Amino acid sequence: MTEVLRARGITKSFGGRAVLRGIDLDAQAGDVVSILGGSGSGKSTFLRCLNLLELPDAGRIEIAGTTAPLDHDRKGRPRIADPRALNALRAKTAMVFQNFNLWSHMSVLDNVIAAPVHVHGQPRGEAIERAHGLLDKVGMTGFAQHWPRQLSGGQQQRVAIARALATDPDLMLFDEPTSALDPERVREVLDLMRALAAEGRTMLIVTHEMAFARDVSSRVVHVRDGVIESMGPPDAMFGAGASPAFRAFLAH
Amino acid sequence: MNEEIAFLTVTGLAIVRALPVTVVLALTSALGASAVAVALVAAQATRVGRPLAQVWIFVFRGTPLLLQMFMVYYGLAAVGPIRHGLLWPLFRDPLFCAFAAMTCCCSAYIAEVLRAAWQAIPPGQVEAAQACGMSRWTRVRRVIAPQMLRLALPAYGNELVMLIKSTSLASTITVLDVTGVAQTLIAHSYRTLEVFCLAAAVYLGLTAGLTALLRRIERNLERGTGR
Ligand SMILES: Nc1ncnc2c1ncn2[C@@H]1O[C@H](COP(=O)(O)OP(=O)(O)O)[C@@H](O)[C@H]1O
Ligand SMILES: [Mg+2]
Repeated sequence: MTEVLRARGITKSFGGRAVLRGIDLDAQAGDVVSILGGSGSGKSTFLRCLNLLELPDAGRIEIAGTTAPLDHDRKGRPRIADPRALNALRAKTAMVFQNFNLWSHMSVLDNVIAAPVHVHGQPRGEAIERAHGLLDKVGMTGFAQHWPRQLSGGQQQRVAIARALATDPDLMLFDEPTSALDPERVREVLDLMRALAAEGRTMLIVTHEMAFARDVSSRVVHVRDGVIESMGPPDAMFGAGASPAFRAFLAH
Repeated sequence: MNEEIAFLTVTGLAIVRALPVTVVLALTSALGASAVAVALVAAQATRVGRPLAQVWIFVFRGTPLLLQMFMVYYGLAAVGPIRHGLLWPLFRDPLFCAFAAMTCCCSAYIAEVLRAAWQAIPPGQVEAAQACGMSRWTRVRRVIAPQMLRLALPAYGNELVMLIKSTSLASTITVLDVTGVAQTLIAHSYRTLEVFCLAAAVYLGLTAGLTALLRRIERNLERGTGR
């Protein structure tokens, strides 16, 4: 199996408050890892450390064989050692946000081709052809020339997923992708993510959709107070083998 | 009556002949001020540049444009290195001095407009650009600048309207722009109200034209977001 993610000893404080207190996590190609935990436990911060939207105070991150270019300045604050290596690392990942974050001044099509063309240097024509295929795949056929604000939340999130797929990322990061959606729109996004899992995409998913996590994950991770409190295959985590803390979280 | 029409025609023509001076001053100052404003905003993103940009904005926004023009035109002439320096041919020209003062002053205002637009960019959209690996320059080019343009345009248009009207101050340092010509015409005819009304109508035409143009650009940009 090829290793896609190796994160070791990730720590992060905000203003002296430790939010991540040493997280280790690996993922192999095709893994679907669900990250569960109470609000404020550090799930988003962890995900954002992996693509360096937040700089971890300490730790080591490797994604698809590339090491995150982190070091520290003289005062010991984390910093980027090499911006090019940073962008190269990020280009291997894709992130799907709770609030979609589509670029509001670009059409749906331009949103999907932006990274392939402007980051990966793919010829525009090729990128457009591929984008149409991806829009078909996410159920957004015929919306290429629409603008983000003309779409419902569920539609925007499906476009955001097409945008994420456009660069064929090694690792996809989802941060509560359905939390901002109307209840009746949640399913269309979860079904799509289920299909991605089935085709072998490597995904890290922060979610509160327990049934989804149980069905789709290869591994479930429970984060509490900035550490991995327990983790395991969904059968164990949702069965008799679960830790008391995770059980308490589920009952909550 | 006939005499009246003849006077207004002759006066009107004289004023319109001064229009190019006003337009050139407004256009060059608008370009200069916008370029300096972009530099000021970029400088504010760096550690060394931030205090310099802030002092620039503090000084030029906090003092009257009229005094700035006086200082550039009358004041710098008394400074030896300028009087005898290579740039003297520029600084002895009142039109250039008006351009210099307006560029400095208006750049401070436009920089504040741009900074407000910068801060209004939805942070999530910038993060989405970072997350897919766009370099800093690509982010500016593809996400930040286009968003800023949309957010800044209404307030920026306002500044340009103010700028057009401010060009009339150049008449106080002997520039024969629309206002300057109007003043000389009054000195000969003593018909203050008519002449100033004609001059004001010229400014009104300029600002109305600019406003219409900006409206059109705004509408086009909005169409480009599906509104
Ligand atoms: N940029 C930030 N600055 C300061 N505090 C932050 C920042 N981001 C997150 N936090 C704090 O870190 C803690 C964990 O946040 P987060 O990772 O978003 O939790 P989760 O996603 O699990 O709900 C919270 O208490 C939050 O207030
Ligand atoms: Mg969160």
